[in-house]
Amino acid sequence: MSYNFDELAESVIAGDSELSAALTQQALDAGANPVAAITDGLSKGMGVVGARFKSGEMFVPEVLMSARAMTAGMDLAKPLILAADMPSSGKVILGTVKGDLHDIGKNLVSMMLESAGFTVINLGIDIEPETFVKAVSESDADVVGLSAMLTTTMLAMKATIDSLAAAGLRNKIKVIVGGAPVSQDFADEIGADGFAPDAGGAIDLCKALVA
Amino acid sequence: MPVTSNYTANASPLFSVLTSTQCDDILLAAQEVLERTGVTVMDEEARDIMAKAGCWVDGIRVRIPSAVVRRALQSVPNRVTLCNSRTGSRDVLLEGHNAYFGTGSDTPFTIDPYTGQRKRSTTESVGNACKVIDALPNLDFVMSLGIVQDVPALVSDRHQFEAQILNTSKPIVTTAHDIYGFADIIKMCEIVAGGVEELRRHPFMTLYAEPISPLQHAWEAASKLVLAAKKGLPVVYTPCIMSGGTGPATPAGILTQALAESLSGLVINQTTREGSPFIMGGVLTIMDMSSTVFSYGSPELDLQMSAYADVAHYLKLPMFGTAGCSDSCLADEQAGIEAALSIAMTCLSGPNLNHDVGYIEYGSTSSLEYLTINNDVIGMGRRLVRGIAVNDETLALDVIDAVGPGKDFLSEPSTLKYFKTETYSSDLLDRQRYEAWQAAGSKTLFERANAKVKDILENYEVDPLSSDVRSAVRAVVESADEAVR
Repeated sequence: MSYNFDELAESVIAGDSELSAALTQQALDAGANPVAAITDGLSKGMGVVGARFKSGEMFVPEVLMSARAMTAGMDLAKPLILAADMPSSGKVILGTVKGDLHDIGKNLVSMMLESAGFTVINLGIDIEPETFVKAVSESDADVVGLSAMLTTTMLAMKATIDSLAAAGLRNKIKVIVGGAPVSQDFADEIGADGFAPDAGGAIDLCKALVA
Repeated sequence: MPVTSNYTANASPLFSVLTSTQCDDILLAAQEVLERTGVTVMDEEARDIMAKAGCWVDGIRVRIPSAVVRRALQSVPNRVTLCNSRTGSRDVLLEGHNAYFGTGSDTPFTIDPYTGQRKRSTTESVGNACKVIDALPNLDFVMSLGIVQDVPALVSDRHQFEAQILNTSKPIVTTAHDIYGFADIIKMCEIVAGGVEELRRHPFMTLYAEPISPLQHAWEAASKLVLAAKKGLPVVYTPCIMSGGTGPATPAGILTQALAESLSGLVINQTTREGSPFIMGGVLTIMDMSSTVFSYGSPELDLQMSAYADVAHYLKLPMFGTAGCSDSCLADEQAGIEAALSIAMTCLSGPNLNHDVGYIEYGSTSSLEYLTINNDVIGMGRRLVRGIAVNDETLALDVIDAVGPGKDFLSEPSTLKYFKTETYSSDLLDRQRYEAWQAAGSKTLFERANAKVKDILENYEVDPLSSDVRSAVRAVVESADEAVR
């Protein structure tokens, strides 16, 4: 049976978590396909949000409210879907490298990636290369993102990439880097697979890398 | 002239954002944050010192009773003097509403004045920047205007300081990676000053350190506050907060959080050694909710910095401000607008040590042309603040009467006496008639600034250090290099 998810998509665009949860529940109660509720309702709404953010019509706090509304619906639909059927853009591990306590840029990337349908494992700040290695070896992530705010801690990005290589994991995963002093040249120099200047760019980059 | 009672005069324009009652509200709110929420302090020694002083320490979280804050505010000096490194002349008096201007330090990139290309900053680019700052009369102090990136990163702070001290005699606000880098920089300063005591009496260097907002003092920052106090050297402590991102979205909330961060830094510093010189600072701005950049050109930056200056004056603490910087990726019209507003607001508010002049691209790149243009904006701002003297002579009744209706003032003695001192003049800003401007090559402000930068780089000479001092400074840098090799 087909179900109209337009109102659900609108609730995500409006960033109304209560409404998106209620509408998702209503759809599921009416026998709607939970995967369709995600792809044609929740994710579709979030897609509009992403486009509006890019064109400057919507702003970060609004995007995050929409992401929260999407998650509120997802949490209801997820238990009814087999893991294999669960729509996901990909899995990304994120962390701020060793010696660096700067958190917000990485968290912003994390929230924006989740809003674009990625599953994110956020390791936190001051993360040792070994911790990244462990996380990569223990998960089926597609991408690992390294963040640094200082020119001194940028060095730990290379150390982390080297540790991944030493552990034989370098070919298993794409490595991306970002942060105030980081540039494309630097990313190339240390052998990263990609660089993005901001959270929006990180979404595009991850999409391109997992495609 | 008869004696007049109840006469008031403005020696300069009056300007404030907050009243003293509002400043007190901000102080009380910050003290409440420190008692209720507290801060994290990642340095064990700093935590021990704070605990002994009466702070409540739970793990790395430290809450600070209001009495401890009050004691720190009473012990901290209300003024700090910075000197010329060559002559010891006491040039920069950080007190009252004196506003001094200088550059910033942490741009990864700079624009090469010869190629126009954006490139990573180097030992050479920092040396060149310092030379230009040294030559510009309205710049009073130096920050490196770039992170040196062509030497081993772990000891690049030593190279960066050497590039500065060789190329300027103006006071230096320096960064250091950690206390080991800071200790080497102090060593270099003691060599230049001619001894430990000489440096303490005539400091030409102050350290720059910053908390990580919200409310965190990382090991690097806290240990620097402790070391600066032990050495009796001034330290600038600068919360850099973006509203809606690393602080509340309301300006009053940003001011409160910033003050809580400043005062907890002050407590670390003063409980280590009472009476240590401390300069409270800030870059209090917004996160642009579209691009997510930390804005260096928003009107909210100007407003919040002026308000923070009011708070600093209320507390009688020297204040480190922010002006002459831009979000624009080049030194263009937008950059000019943003600098003009921030510099004018800063001149009017009177925070003392104002940095980041010459930053473009939301603080990621420096431009020597922009710096040179802003040298004139500062000159214009200072003219505004000099205000208008109203007295018998300046009212000029006799002059007006002598000239009378329909004649001119050009050859009046009073005109000859005052036209230079009452008028700001510039060799960079253009007031030529059209034909003369055209004959001079129809140059834009940027092109004229570029020519001036090149002229300074090619012809200006910095007051040199003696060869003995130079080699002793070099030895400190080389021994740091050796340690990481």
